[in-house]
Amino acid sequence: MSGGGEPEADAAAVRAVLAALETVILGKPRQIRLCLACLMARGHLLIEDVPGVGKTTLAHALAHLLGLAWQRVQFTSDLLPADIIGVSIFDRAHQRFDFRRGPIFTQLLLADEVNRASPRTQSALLEAMEERQVSADGTTYRLPDVFFVVATQNPHEQLGTFALPESQLDRFLMRVTLGYPDAGHERELLRGGDRRDLLPQMPAVLNPAGVLRVQQQVRAVHVSDALLGYVQALIASTRERADLKLGLSPRAGQGLLRAAQSWACLDGRVAVLPEDVQAVLPAVVAHRLERREPGGDGNALAAEIIRGVPVPL
Amino acid sequence: MPGREDDRALGWAAAALGGGMLLHVDRVPAWVSAAALVLLAWRLAAARARVRLPGTIARVLLAMLVAVAVLLRFHTLNGLAAGTALLILMASLKLLETWRRRDRMVLVAAGLFLLLAACLDRQSLLRAPLYLAEAWLCCAALAVVATDGFPGRAAFALAGRTLLYALPLAVLLFVFFPRLTGSFWSLPRGEEARTGLSDTMSPGSIGELTTSYDIAFRARFEGALPPPEQRYWRGPVLHDFDGATWRRGVGGRAAPWELSGRRYRYHVALEPSRHRWWFALDIPAQSPDPGVLLTHDYELMAARPVTDPTGYEALSYTGARTAEPLSDWDRLENTALPRGRNPRSLALAHALRTGAGSDAAFVASVLGFLRSGGFVYSLEPEKLGPEQIDDFLFRTRTGFCGHYASAFTVLMRAGGVPARVVTGYLGGEWNPVGGYLVVRQSDAHAWVEVWLPGSGWRRVDPTAVVAPERLTRGLLDLMPEVMSAPTRLLRGAPWLLGLLQRWDAANAWWNERVVKFDYGTQINLLEHLGLRSADAWALGWAFVAALLGWLALIAWQMQGGAGRGQRPDPVARAYARLCRKLARTGTARAPHQGPLDYGAALAAAHPALPGEAQALLALYARLRYGAGDPATRAREAEAFARAVRRLRVAAAPG
Repeated sequence: MSGGGEPEADAAAVRAVLAALETVILGKPRQIRLCLACLMARGHLLIEDVPGVGKTTLAHALAHLLGLAWQRVQFTSDLLPADIIGVSIFDRAHQRFDFRRGPIFTQLLLADEVNRASPRTQSALLEAMEERQVSADGTTYRLPDVFFVVATQNPHEQLGTFALPESQLDRFLMRVTLGYPDAGHERELLRGGDRRDLLPQMPAVLNPAGVLRVQQQVRAVHVSDALLGYVQALIASTRERADLKLGLSPRAGQGLLRAAQSWACLDGRVAVLPEDVQAVLPAVVAHRLERREPGGDGNALAAEIIRGVPVPL
Repeated sequence: MPGREDDRALGWAAAALGGGMLLHVDRVPAWVSAAALVLLAWRLAAARARVRLPGTIARVLLAMLVAVAVLLRFHTLNGLAAGTALLILMASLKLLETWRRRDRMVLVAAGLFLLLAACLDRQSLLRAPLYLAEAWLCCAALAVVATDGFPGRAAFALAGRTLLYALPLAVLLFVFFPRLTGSFWSLPRGEEARTGLSDTMSPGSIGELTTSYDIAFRARFEGALPPPEQRYWRGPVLHDFDGATWRRGVGGRAAPWELSGRRYRYHVALEPSRHRWWFALDIPAQSPDPGVLLTHDYELMAARPVTDPTGYEALSYTGARTAEPLSDWDRLENTALPRGRNPRSLALAHALRTGAGSDAAFVASVLGFLRSGGFVYSLEPEKLGPEQIDDFLFRTRTGFCGHYASAFTVLMRAGGVPARVVTGYLGGEWNPVGGYLVVRQSDAHAWVEVWLPGSGWRRVDPTAVVAPERLTRGLLDLMPEVMSAPTRLLRGAPWLLGLLQRWDAANAWWNERVVKFDYGTQINLLEHLGLRSADAWALGWAFVAALLGWLALIAWQMQGGAGRGQRPDPVARAYARLCRKLARTGTARAPHQGPLDYGAALAAAHPALPGEAQALLALYARLRYGAGDPATRAREAEAFARAVRRLRVAAAPG
């Protein structure tokens, strides 16, 4: 531990992670930044997109560059909670049950196509996400200190999917949509081959201890009273709107603030600005709010919320 | 047990109450103020040193005691004077049972009530700042009493702001609130000692008046002023003489008269006196008010004493003639002399009358006697003996208007010419600031009117033949030694005199426009504003509309205040200013735009914008959202505000 130099080193490492990610996922710097900000804020991430735009690659790259142990679970309709959490097996030699830990006991869990699993399995995962611990057969097992779930889901209604209910969506700090790359990046992608092949050539930039330190730094980013007032006003404005089914929860407010701290930290600043809040707001709130009248883009709604609340002088 | 915070709030409430009491200290009996002071000291001592306060029974007894004391002194508990005294005493007693916030509020309310009573009592311009100060103090005390730990300075700031908010409302109320005639707030006045001409005169009595610098009335003329020697303002006309004192007659018959001479139309603003006289120049043509009688000797006599500043329009002529002979009764009254008094004077009159061919010639010869007889004008003559007129005419030969008018009238009557003494004022000082004449008590004068067959009553001023300059110059200019030292000092310096005239003009304005703002004035003003034929209902509606408008404005203002976070601190103010300046580029900050986003938008739209603007935006972001110790922050905030003031931003072309 080298004391004073560490924050700078960690900041440099975070910048290096960003740079490396940008070489893997082309043309999506903002989304990449959001994903990284989400993890730095100790939040779980939901990547929602059509198949084949690089969701899994992104998750894989994140785990690799952050130096985290990771597991991937492909969710299917017949997946059981035990398939994720683990199962107790009777050990005849010792006459007792042994708990076989499931794939959730890792630092980064990639839950692919989370909406394909049955609600029962989904809720088992989501409870683990919230509590950061797992209970099986009356015993509680703590999950690692660094623990992220990166879930992906396909937005289009398809046969055999179970859409995550709002209460469950609330547990994801951010929902990020990648979208198709633009023409230039698409050509580069076509020329460059499978991006996942790049990963083994890249060294891990951080390690779990480094990730914890970065998370500490995020929490130390200063939040002024003026900014708290602004965040509060933003949340209150969603509760006053008649066209929304439900306003933002206090948990959403905490998450918004944490994500904004993270964003400011990524910008190399020591205090949160309204701009940071506005930058993360669409990713943090869009999946938690639903209009009474169906239709409308989540991002448009977020923009409406931002425009509706003046920044305090 | 009351804490320190309670004691502090008590101190403020007591100060508000004490301020209200101070407004009345020269009006209420001294023992009332003394008792209030003792009770106040008692309560404050109890707060500090834990002196015991009286119990319930003692307080009830005290309350009954002071009520009885007020009753004994005023013979009533009603009316302004008694009510004020009672309120002062009861509020002081309330101090002794002031424990909770509610009690302290009651004390402040009592202070406000005392202020109201003071406003009813006296409305001079000089006292207006005192009333304002007390209102301010009460509002500030209310803030401290209502909120624990409210800083005193902030309380005064808040109260000041609140009063400013209320000011337009007060003006609206003043202008539009229907003035009900015969209103309940015109309370009857208590006995007030005021100077002024009385309805009796002994030769020396006017002298006491002439040393008074008090204002009798002001007169504003339409058109030209009368020349100084024509400024005879008629007051009481005296007929009966008992050898020492002149008194008003029992009333005669008005002979039809014909007005002549120059005509003057003017407005008089009369100061309160305890008399019923209204003053008019020379011969008033008509009564200015239904409540005022124009008597047969051209006096204006009101039904009630002038207790408030009073304004009226008057029309006067400098002469009146009648061809009719004097009635027997009037001739008898105006030639009567006390039997057997002043024999030498009577002898002189008879001698002069025999030598004169006509009444007019007799007047001239008596004036000639006064002119050449070695008479001296003085405000401090020797005291006269029992035969006053003889003593004056043949021994002292020193006196002022009262002496000359008395002696001249006696001589006229002795010669068989009907004559009467007219008291009033002569002169008036021109106030160039206000454009009116100021007539002071020191201008008090007495002159004579004699009846000449064929022309009626004619004015003769015997003082004028002795001291002709008294006609054209004010008494104060003539003999400055009669003035009190401060008055002399005031009039000594021209700039001070100018200042004095300004002050007087302000007073006149105040009395005419504010204190005397009544139903008639209100209607005039409203017609001026285009509200024709406004009646009480129209006034009421206009008032309600204006009131609602103002409340809506305040509500709107407060709404805006809430949106701005309710803390317009220096950084926020400077930032608002910076944004206003930068908006001149044509790119204004959207309300939801943060400082850095705004900077980016500016940079994109106006690459030539000085880098200083960007630096200021970044500095603001740090000041508003960053951490830092308060001292550094305050310094930086000041620097920020200065830099914003200095920043020059060119306006966008077009």
